[in-house]
Formats: sequence, structure tokens, C-alpha cells
Amino acid sequence: MQIRCTINSRPYRFECEPEERLLDVVRRLGMLSVKKGCGEGECGTCSLFFNGKLVNSCLLLAPQMQGAEIVTLEGLQKETETIRENFAKEGAVQCGFCTPGFVMRAYDYIIHEGSKDEKRVKEALDGNICRCTGYQKIVEAIVKSMS
Amino acid sequence: MSLVGQSVVRVDAASKSDGTLEYTDDLDFEGLYGAVVRSTIAHGNILSITFDETFDFSDFVIVDHRDIEGRNANVMLTDDQPFLAETKVRFIGEPILLLAHRSQRMLKEALKHIDITYEPLTPVLTVQESLDCKTLLYGDDNLFKTIRTEKGEEPDYTALKSLEKHYSTPHQEQLYMETQSMIARYCDGAVRIVGSMQCPFYVESALFALTGKKIEVEQAPTGGGFGGKEDYPSLIAAYVYLLSKKAKQDVKLVYDRAEDISFTTKRHPSALHYKSHFDETGKLHALDIEITLDGGAYVTLTPVVLARAVLHAAGFYDCGYIKVDARAVATNTPPNGAFRGFGAPQVIFGIERHMDDIARCLGISPMEVRERNLPHSRSVSVTGAKIGEYTRLRTLFETTRKASGFDEKEAAGTPYKGIGMALFMHGGGFTGEGETLLASKVWLDLHDNGMVEIRIGSVEMGQGTLTALPQIVADVLALPITMIRYHLPNTAKVADSGPTVASRTVMIVGELLREAANALKEALGRYGSEAEYLDAVRAYLKSGAQSRFQAAYQKPDTVQWDEEHFYGNGYDGYSLGCYVAEVEVDPVDYRVRVSDFYAYNDVGKVVNPMMAEGQVEGGVAQGIGYALYERIAYQDGKLRSSRLSDYSVPLAADLPKLHIAFLNTDEPSKGLGELPMDGPAAAIGNALTHALDTAFDNLTITPEVVEQKCR
Ligand code: FES
Ligand code: FES
Repeated sequence: MQIRCTINSRPYRFECEPEERLLDVVRRLGMLSVKKGCGEGECGTCSLFFNGKLVNSCLLLAPQMQGAEIVTLEGLQKETETIRENFAKEGAVQCGFCTPGFVMRAYDYIIHEGSKDEKRVKEALDGNICRCTGYQKIVEAIVKSMS
Repeated sequence: MSLVGQSVVRVDAASKSDGTLEYTDDLDFEGLYGAVVRSTIAHGNILSITFDETFDFSDFVIVDHRDIEGRNANVMLTDDQPFLAETKVRFIGEPILLLAHRSQRMLKEALKHIDITYEPLTPVLTVQESLDCKTLLYGDDNLFKTIRTEKGEEPDYTALKSLEKHYSTPHQEQLYMETQSMIARYCDGAVRIVGSMQCPFYVESALFALTGKKIEVEQAPTGGGFGGKEDYPSLIAAYVYLLSKKAKQDVKLVYDRAEDISFTTKRHPSALHYKSHFDETGKLHALDIEITLDGGAYVTLTPVVLARAVLHAAGFYDCGYIKVDARAVATNTPPNGAFRGFGAPQVIFGIERHMDDIARCLGISPMEVRERNLPHSRSVSVTGAKIGEYTRLRTLFETTRKASGFDEKEAAGTPYKGIGMALFMHGGGFTGEGETLLASKVWLDLHDNGMVEIRIGSVEMGQGTLTALPQIVADVLALPITMIRYHLPNTAKVADSGPTVASRTVMIVGELLREAANALKEALGRYGSEAEYLDAVRAYLKSGAQSRFQAAYQKPDTVQWDEEHFYGNGYDGYSLGCYVAEVEVDPVDYRVRVSDFYAYNDVGKVVNPMMAEGQVEGGVAQGIGYALYERIAYQDGKLRSSRLSDYSVPLAADLPKLHIAFLNTDEPSKGLGELPMDGPAAAIGNALTHALDTAFDNLTITPEVVEQKCR
């Protein structure tokens, strides 16, 4: 089927199979910051903004992209600069596979709520798994990005 | 200022956080996707394989064991595991056929049109069934390996008290966030392998056995390993190799999460039996330990895991007589393998729970029992070697005890709250003669622009190698870290510095790099500034002298090992940990929360404090998961659920704020990778035992377990 949508403010038009997942489609189109950690909505590595809402793209199907506005980390480089710098400086990055997803989550958290309370930050991270860091430095990096 | 000891920001942090770093599945790719056809039964003979005639298989590439030119054996410690099953299958998920196709959808479709029929044999699904030997899977006793060791003199037991207890630990899944993935690149008849791995030279040698040829193997950025990418990638590299060779095209194989959880290696489950004899003050006089590991269907790394379990089974306590009887058995379940800690977290749960049980039995504090048994200058380990770490261990113990306020909190006895400790060690590097046999090498290449290039097989998989090793080299040469180059390894271009496992990278490879860097420095002569350095480099290279500086591992005199009698000092050095967990139990739903956690470590000189802290935080999180959340259940040899939603690992909100400290000494750096995984489960088990005054001897301690114990 034919899909038209915008990704990172650019119009896209492409063919896809109706049962393809949004995750696979954006990756095929070159947005490789979107990673596949689980494919079942548990880990958050595939996070992207879909019509302004942060979602797990492995849970959506390609037909849902029709007319949608999609933003991935590729399209948010400027906006996430401070967050990314703090992730690096605070040691919140290890293998890095989860990191783009966490940066997206952090950005979403900061623009919508912005409470520096560590407990709130931790709760906000409940859709993202990191197996390397133990989260502490991720939380610290996020809090620091709000100062 | 010295670069070693500074929290240098990771060199790969930026490309990882902006999403531009390309992991295997992100690499430019034009070719076929691979898939594995697996056994659906746990034990049996393959009778026939039929391809549905109504389905068009003509544009599929199909590979079976007959396509293997060399040996159909993944040679690690032994050669019992075939790459592809020939006539027999030994676990659910054992690879039988490989398929490749341009479309992933067609691949999935094709899998439904292949029918394999079996003659089922009785599966051996539990350790007990294996020990009963009614069905033989391996040798004439189903034992992959046994280790017996005994040291000291048996005491006179008459005046001593004794305690005998069972403990057990379950499977654990590494759950690296990037699943197993591999690409074979095809070019003019030759195949090159690129993928996610910890040990490029292991993959190279596995492919050598498979093909009789040296195949170039390159590590791609790797999204976590924790041991799960130690030996397993050799198999999947062989699969893409075979498919690519036949298809004459590139082939990519990326496991989905369910496949990864179901069929790749896990931590060995253990059954532990501790019998101790001690006097009324809690002083140990004899320890008699039995260890049984479930190895799964093939040998893989099990004998070495068992050896590490034996070496850590008695901790570092002073005890006159220690006997260990250990064995690893074969079952018809997926092979178990390496996971951070490698046999140590299992037995440290055993010995550290047992120390608390002795205290409970005598009605004294667990601190008192530990204190009584701290080693001194004459104490010897389970293998009869002097425990040279006794002062370090004592300092660590006392520091942690004080900093955590252990004694007051333990005495308080608040309902549903508890505190527990684990005091432990972890041997760095390979066990026994392992490092000597590995004979690791490193190269440092000097370039005419002054850049120094590290050429070794050690990999970055998240732990920070790409930053820590250049720090060490730059430190010796008094250069900024930007002058040091270090790329992910390609076996055709680097020295074999051994696998990236066993907490050995900074300790062993780092030390070799220091040696090579010193040779380079000496060759250049004196230089003060960077400009003088560049002049020295130019002059040196102009003279036509060797631009490569090398170092190779040599056994230090201190390591003496007799494998046959399991006697000597098994490691180049030990790192030490003293961890304290505080827990709270919810009296309504029996959920356990770790409310506070102290992780104090002595790893000698810390190379990069920020990254070291990160290692401890991550390791403790995995240890908390091991204790409270992570549960793999097999039913009739099949994983009951392969979904991530059913295998819960700790999330941010599940973890307390950690208090981490390093007793940063000037001793040489010791391994840190595994240490933080070893202690948390024991500390938590002890804390829960304290909180509820009932012993928690078996992991995983889920709310159901707590509820049952509270009834
Ligand atoms: S891949 Fe989508 S949530 Fe894990
Ligand atoms: S950094 Fe490896 S999973 Fe988060």
C-alpha cells in the first residue's frame, strides 16, 4: 500500500506491506536511531514521536503512518543537545543500544513535566530498559539537564 | 596530571547518544536474510525432513550439515556440539537447517512449510534425572566435568557444632539490549564476518574448524554482552558464513528477542550443599561443599564455569579444612554458558548465606561470625594458596561495616525490614593456567603524525574498553588521549590479546599495553612538550627502526598452578567486594524493595572512576534482578515464555540509590567487570532472612516465595 507522511518534517511517500511495523519502516527509510530491542513494547529502544506523542514504534503498524507526523532522534538533534551532552558527561552511556530511546524519553519528560525529583524521573523511565547502567547515571543526567 | 584515575568521558558517548553509531543491524546491507530451522523436541533422532511441494522453495538458499566442508563441530573446550544437527537433536531449539531469502516475510512463511519428523527419545530434563543415568547423554555418567579438592587436615569434630544446608540458584538471562546479530559479507568467493561479539578470535577459530580457512572477523559496535556474546556468536557466524557461501551474497542474521531468550546460553543453575563445623564462637573448622551445575545439552564453557565456582566456593574465609566436590551434568535443555560472574555468583550466594546461617544457629550477629573468620597471614584458600589479600579484605570489611551502620541497623530489628551483608572476592583473568595458555599479545603502532595505535582483539561492549585502554597508554606516554587510536578489532589486523571476558581486559591487557607503551617511550628518548614528542617520533621513524611495539603475557612467578590436583593460586589477582543490602517487605503484597545498598570495592588502582562506578551500578542492578525478579521457567524442556514481558529485569524505579566506594589503592588495577554481580543476591538473601526471621535459601525470591515463607 501507498503511504504518505512526514518524518522529521520532510514529506515521505513509499510503498509498504500492510502488516509491516512502523519500527521496520522507519529503519528501512534510514532512521537508524530507532532500535529494535524487543519488538513487543517492553524496552523503549524504538521510541519516536508519533503525532506529538512518544510511542514504541514496534507496536504500531505501517498503515497507521498514513498522514502522520513522525519525529525521530535524527530530527531532534538540536533540541536534545544538552541532554546528550549530559548523558556523556555523567557516564549514562555504556553499550549505547538503549541510549537513543532514553534520550527521547528524557526529552519528552523535560518538555512535559520537568520535575527534578529523582523519584518522578525514575517513574517516568518505566517504559525503558537499560541492562548496562543500573539507571542511576541516566537519572542524574536527566536531572542535570533541567538545571 | 596522570590520566589514569580520571573520569575521562567515554570516547564513544557522543555517537551512541545521537543515534549515529551503527550496530550490526544498522550496517549498510544488500543481500539475503537468514533464518534457523530448529528442533521442536528435546531429545530424539531426526527421521525425515520434508519441504512442502505446494510451496515454492526455488529462490531460497537452504543449508544443512552436508554443506559443511570442514568439521561439523563448534570446537571450544571440546567438540561435542555440532553447528547443525545431523541425525540427533538434544534440546528444543537445536539448529537443524538454515534458510536465506531476500524477503523476511517469505522466510517466515517458508518456515511453516518445512516438516521434520522425529523418533523421540526420553528427554533428561532435570539434574536428578541426569544423575540417575537412566538415559545417557554424555559419556557413561552424564557428567561434563567433576572437580574434587581438599585442603588442610580434618579437625577433631567431637567438640564442634555443625550445620548442613541446601541452597539453589536459577538460570539467568543476559538480556543484552542488542540481540545476537551477524552479517557475512561476500566478495569474489571470499566471506568476511562482521557482527556483535566479545571474542573475535574465538569466532575466527570456530570458522577455521568449519572451513579449514582463516576467515576475517570484524567486531561491529556491540550492544552489551555480559558473557552472552562470548562463545555463542561462533555459532551464528558459522550460519551466516554457510548461507553466504552458498548464496554467493551477503547474508544477515539477527535474532528476534524471543529467539534470543529461548535458545542462547544462560547462567548455569546450581544446587549447593554446604556442611560446616564450627565452635561456639562461630570460628569455622571445616567446610564440606557440594556443587552441582546444570550444563544443558552441550559442554560449551561449563568446565571452566565449574572451576570458577570451586575457586570461589569457600570465599576468602579462614578455615582449616575445606573439601569441595563439584560436578556439572548434561540435560536436554539449551546449553548454559558464560554470564558475568561465571560460576561465582552462585557459590557466593551459598557461602555468604551459610555464614549468616551459622550466625543464626549460634544466635550471634552475622558480623561477628565474619569477623571471627577473616583470613590472616597464614590462612590458605580452597586450593591451598596463601590468601595474600587478608589486610585488604579486613580494611574493606571494617570500612563497609561502619559506613553502612550495619551493627545498629541489624540490632534494631524493625518488622518487615532487614539488613544483610556479603563479603566476597573475584579472581581476575583466566582460571589457573588459562592466561599462560592464552599467551595474549598486544601491538602498539607508531604513526609518523605521532598517533599511537592500539591493535588488539579486546572489544568494547559497553564496559568502556575503548576509553580505559587509551587512558593507560596515554598516561605512560604523557600524551593527550586524542593522540591514541583504537578501533574495534578485525582479526586480520590486530594482535590476539585474548577474549574480552573474565574481568581481564584492564588488568591483563592493560598491563601489557603499559609494557608496550613503556618500550615505545624508551625508544623515543626524552621529550618534554608535545612538539618535542613529535620531533622525537620523526627522528625515530626516520632511522628506519621498528614502528611496532609489542608485549606478550608472561606468567608471573606468583602464579603457580597444578590443574590435576587443583592446587595453587588460581588467579593473577583478586578484586574484593563488601556489599550491604537493606530491604523492606510489603506486608500486604509481599513485594520486596531494596531500600538502600552499599557497594564497597577494592580493585586496586581505579582507571576511570566514573566508568568504574557505572560498572558497579549496572552489575548491582543485574544482581538485584537475579535475587528478586529474573525467572526463567522451562516446562518439558521448553521455555515457558520467551517474552520480555514475562522475564522482568529491574527498571529504574526498582532500584535504590547506591552508595558506591572504591578503596582506591596504588596496587595494580584488578578486574572489575564481574565483581559487582557476585555479591548482591547473597546480601539480599541475608537481609530478607533478617527481616522475616526465616531463611531464604533459593533464588529467585519472588513475592510468591515470600508469601509462602510468611504463612
Ligand atoms: S523494540 Fe519497541 S519497545 Fe522494545
Ligand atoms: S547502555 Fe547498554 S542497555 Fe543501556
